[in-house]
Amino acid sequence: MSLDVFLLILRLLLIVLLYLFLMQVVIAITRDLRKAAPAGEAGAGSAAPVLGHLVVVDSGPSQIAPGTRFELLPQTSIGRGPTNTIQIPENFISGEHARIWFKNGSWYVQDAGSTNGTYLNRQPARDALQARIGDIIQVGFIYFKLAQ
Amino acid sequence: MKNILQRYRWKELGLFIIPFMILLLGMMQLPLARYYVSQINTNQQSIPFSTSILPGISSLIPIIGLIVALALVNLLFSIFYPKADQILLPLVGLMSGIGVLMATRLQAVPQVRDPILGTRQLVWVIIGLFICIVTLFGLRNMGWLRRYKYTWAALGILLVGLTLFNALRVKNFNSPTHDQLNFGPLNLQPSELLKIFIVIFFAAYLNENIDAIAESNFLLGPFRLPLFGQVGPFRLPPLRQLGPLALMLALSLVLFLGIRELGLALLIYGIFLAMLYLGSGKLSYIFVSLLAFFALGFIGYKLFGYVQARFAAVSIDVVNWQNWGPATVTFAQGQAYQIVQGLIALSSGGILGTGLGLGHAGQFVPVIQSDMIFTQIGEELGLAGLFAILSLYLLIIYRGYRIAIEASDGFNQLLAAGLTSIFAIQALVIIAGNMKFIPLTGLPLPFLSYGGSSIIANYIIVGILLRISHINAMEREGLA
Repeated sequence: MSLDVFLLILRLLLIVLLYLFLMQVVIAITRDLRKAAPAGEAGAGSAAPVLGHLVVVDSGPSQIAPGTRFELLPQTSIGRGPTNTIQIPENFISGEHARIWFKNGSWYVQDAGSTNGTYLNRQPARDALQARIGDIIQVGFIYFKLAQ
Repeated sequence: MKNILQRYRWKELGLFIIPFMILLLGMMQLPLARYYVSQINTNQQSIPFSTSILPGISSLIPIIGLIVALALVNLLFSIFYPKADQILLPLVGLMSGIGVLMATRLQAVPQVRDPILGTRQLVWVIIGLFICIVTLFGLRNMGWLRRYKYTWAALGILLVGLTLFNALRVKNFNSPTHDQLNFGPLNLQPSELLKIFIVIFFAAYLNENIDAIAESNFLLGPFRLPLFGQVGPFRLPPLRQLGPLALMLALSLVLFLGIRELGLALLIYGIFLAMLYLGSGKLSYIFVSLLAFFALGFIGYKLFGYVQARFAAVSIDVVNWQNWGPATVTFAQGQAYQIVQGLIALSSGGILGTGLGLGHAGQFVPVIQSDMIFTQIGEELGLAGLFAILSLYLLIIYRGYRIAIEASDGFNQLLAAGLTSIFAIQALVIIAGNMKFIPLTGLPLPFLSYGGSSIIANYIIVGILLRISHINAMEREGLA
């Protein structure tokens, strides 16, 4: 066998290996996506447990009637945008306004970078704050009470 | 112990196997190719192959070093960050490995004038991997990046200022190093760090002001009619939301006019547009910004000879070289020499390439190790190799945007998307430049080009992306 042939084999082998690697990565990615998809569907399809409620105490300048109850999931986002769990179509509510979640037996509130702010018992919730049942959560100019 | 085995990043290790084989194969091929070339120059038509001419294990040592480093990173991440993305690192590792192979191959070319180019590149990649780990460990709190956003912006502006000062001092805009800063033996390319600072600043800024920016109509500028249902009688979008727009334009303009960094100006403006669109989802911004970009480009074209020369190189018709007039010939041997030689190298590669170590691009294409590395790969690995390289970039970019999509926090989302856009735009601008689609610019090709600053900056980006994917995974686990 001459060296030419050997080098040709090496060259082809290199390219074949490159494409084999690409195939391996694509397979790994597809498997990832398949794994993620059922989990996502399960999360959206089977109704997530309602762990608590937000009751409107003072609706400020908005049209929402005081006493309205919003359901709280393990992860709830509040905002004007269509991706939020609780959508409030008011101008003073930001697209993504606040997040409320339940972890290790207690509630947490955090502002999601809103313009008009989120407050827990009049304290600004820029970082995550722990909330108790009965606390007052202010989202923009709407006052909510955290309830069971 | 069992715990580590359970959460070991097996998928990443599995994905590393073929890249390791590719790198070893390439490294073995290089001395063989050198032997082949030396024999064919002196000897007969056919050279017999025997196992005695196979290179010894000692010639594989550099690549083995890289493989060990990558395996160590894999082990380290398995212990501390088992949930971070497992696909990104093999892709990036293979790319850097090919970069090391190319640098090692080019160090044998006398025209490159650096007999230890491969070793240098290898050392930079290993430093880069180390910095990637440091980034991952150091970024315990992403809020830190967000909170000091004006510090990052100021650092970026300082870098531009230093480079501008240096460029004015050197006064030789044709020297390829006028955009570097020299600290002792180190040649720093500040533009590489600048792009990261800019993305961090943008991500933090857009995340905070996205509502105001997305609501206001760019075409009306700061004037806005009072709308019903609003809190005050009327609200003017604060002037400061237009601040970064103007700042970015000014920065690109300084780079474009002052330092004559066409590529960097393109890159920064591209990142800016991508992030603005990702954040606001408004096409009107993109439209207006593109108009401003073309207007500026046109002014630049009219004012500066160097821009005109670069555009003239795009219009050169290499395929019909037989019909060239004397003026074109002079141009092709002068200002357009680099791009013409690069295209010749690409075409001589054909579909399967000449084989690693058997091309001639290194002898003819100036600055092949950084600006024109794509033509080197095109000649030696062929069109098939180039498609593989482009697919690798696509997969890296896909992975980056995937990490961005999975992030729950707006800042992390914008940051991951912006950092990934750097790879996308930079690869696009330099590859299109090498292939004469757009004017050639002096940007390094991510991971493949020779250059310490570029490698370190890219590994910082990889570190931040891995950190964000780690945060995503932790949040997912917290939910489950």
